Amino acid sequence: MARPNLTGPIAVILLFVIWEGSVQGFGIREFLLPAPSVILSEAWTIRGAILNHTLATLQTVLLGFAAAVLISLPLAMAIASSPVISAAIYPLLVITQSIPKVALAPILIVALGANEVPRVIVTFLVAFFPLVVASVAGLLAAPPELIELGRACRAGRVQQMLRIRLPYAVPFVFGGLKVAAALSVVGAVVAEFVGADAGLGYLIQTSMAFFRTPLAFAAVVILALMGMTLFALVGLMERVLFPWSTSSQTNIPAA
Amino acid sequence: MILLSGVGKTFRGRDGGRVEALSDITLRVAPGEFVAIVGASGCGKSTLLRLVAGLVPVSLGRVEVSGTLVSEPRADTAMVFQAPTLLPWADVLRNVTFPLRLMGKATRTTEDEARVLLAKAGLTGFETKLPRELSGGMQQRVAICRALLQQPRVLLMDEPFGALDALTREEMSIELLRIWAETGAAVLFVTHSISEAVLLADRVVVMSPRPGRIADVIQVGLPRPRDFAQEGTPAFHDAAQRIRALIYAKKEAAHGAA
Ligand SMILES: Nc1ncnc2c1ncn2[C@@H]1O[C@H](COP(=O)(O)OP(=O)(O)OP(=O)(O)O)[C@@H](O)[C@H]1O
Ligand SMILES: [Mg+2]
Repeated sequence: MARPNLTGPIAVILLFVIWEGSVQGFGIREFLLPAPSVILSEAWTIRGAILNHTLATLQTVLLGFAAAVLISLPLAMAIASSPVISAAIYPLLVITQSIPKVALAPILIVALGANEVPRVIVTFLVAFFPLVVASVAGLLAAPPELIELGRACRAGRVQQMLRIRLPYAVPFVFGGLKVAAALSVVGAVVAEFVGADAGLGYLIQTSMAFFRTPLAFAAVVILALMGMTLFALVGLMERVLFPWSTSSQTNIPAA
Repeated sequence: MILLSGVGKTFRGRDGGRVEALSDITLRVAPGEFVAIVGASGCGKSTLLRLVAGLVPVSLGRVEVSGTLVSEPRADTAMVFQAPTLLPWADVLRNVTFPLRLMGKATRTTEDEARVLLAKAGLTGFETKLPRELSGGMQQRVAICRALLQQPRVLLMDEPFGALDALTREEMSIELLRIWAETGAAVLFVTHSISEAVLLADRVVVMSPRPGRIADVIQVGLPRPRDFAQEGTPAFHDAAQRIRALIYAKKEAAHGAA
């Protein structure tokens, strides 16, 4: 495991340098593509407002992500525990996934009011599906020998699920959690585009309406950072809480 | 203790075909008796243990333990599987105590007893290691400790020493005999090694393949406690020779028929 891997950060810095250089060198107009230095200085002038937008979005992201975790794991266990439940629930899940969330958001806002609730629901809807799929795959991945060991120890269905299948699924679940964390950010922004008076999605829309492209870019950069941070935090949590999981993940392809 | 009468087992394959794994098995194992099972690969040895463990139902006949019909796994039966089958997320100590914790039978002394067993198996210092940090042979020893910790009345062992090197194998054999003598469990012990069967067992069941049947049962007349010095005795050679003859006679008969 090569710890201080600097390739990624260097590539990002290089991208920004090329970006800055091209904008300056080719004289690209600011409302088309602002240079990173312009983005930074414009954002800095309204840093208080940007902080508030960031916190508003973060709240939606975290609530939606939390809802996804709280609902996906029991749902995955129900699906994995019985073919009948699985056959009943899976089509419904696929239907929720086939509906474009952008189309759903305005309907939810009319139904539930222009507040945090519909935004969290949209975030949840975007984030939970990959988590359910990964968790079900993990719960069903326990090798038959381990299941037989559980049976030999007179484990019932609940014990088999909680003491054997669930621990075995941990690397898979974390694979799903990482995807869900990144998707939560997407979901929150989609919801904010449709109905919000704060948040980075709202900032992007209002900025573009007034041709303040650098502010929209600033919001995009912050969203990217937010997604990356959540992704990294999930990975960190896995390493701290389940130290046996991370290295076994190199053997088990997380769904 | 263990009673199999007229037991047959037929598996239905996914393609609809049937595999007759065992046919007309009748065997009685007394309490505290050590019975080894030898036979060619695929002749149904693991299946036989699974039937006694209550993990798969019989197709014909009946399996009893302590006078009651076996229809599900019993608390007083422990099994060492052909593969170590350890929980990848639990360290050695928690793997060994897993069955007792699962059955709600763990007490304050369980962990200390586990440490004693692990020491006997040469695993002191590995208590907090994960299975993937152990060699295959060490994993198998953990699995053996896990079964012994349950202090079963019926101990089913499916080639438990298969993954061990010759030296560890001999050490573990003697240790197993010592623990078995203390607990007085009825043991069904599957092995591919004729000398191991003779060294350990009171009786050796020789099985013939397709379908798995009992070809014969050889009494091993060696006195206990056993040790490796007995390998040189005429009684040892005699028993080993009779087993070998049975196995090869069956092979030749099969070849002749084909
Ligand atoms: N679950 C199953 N479904 C279908 N067939 C099975 C099943 N388990 C075992 N068999 C068949 O039963 C026969 C006996 O298998 P078993 O595993 O008991 O053999 P074995 O004597 O333990 O062999 P080995 O020495 O190689 O471990 C084989 O032909 C096998 O294909
Ligand atoms: Mg076998």
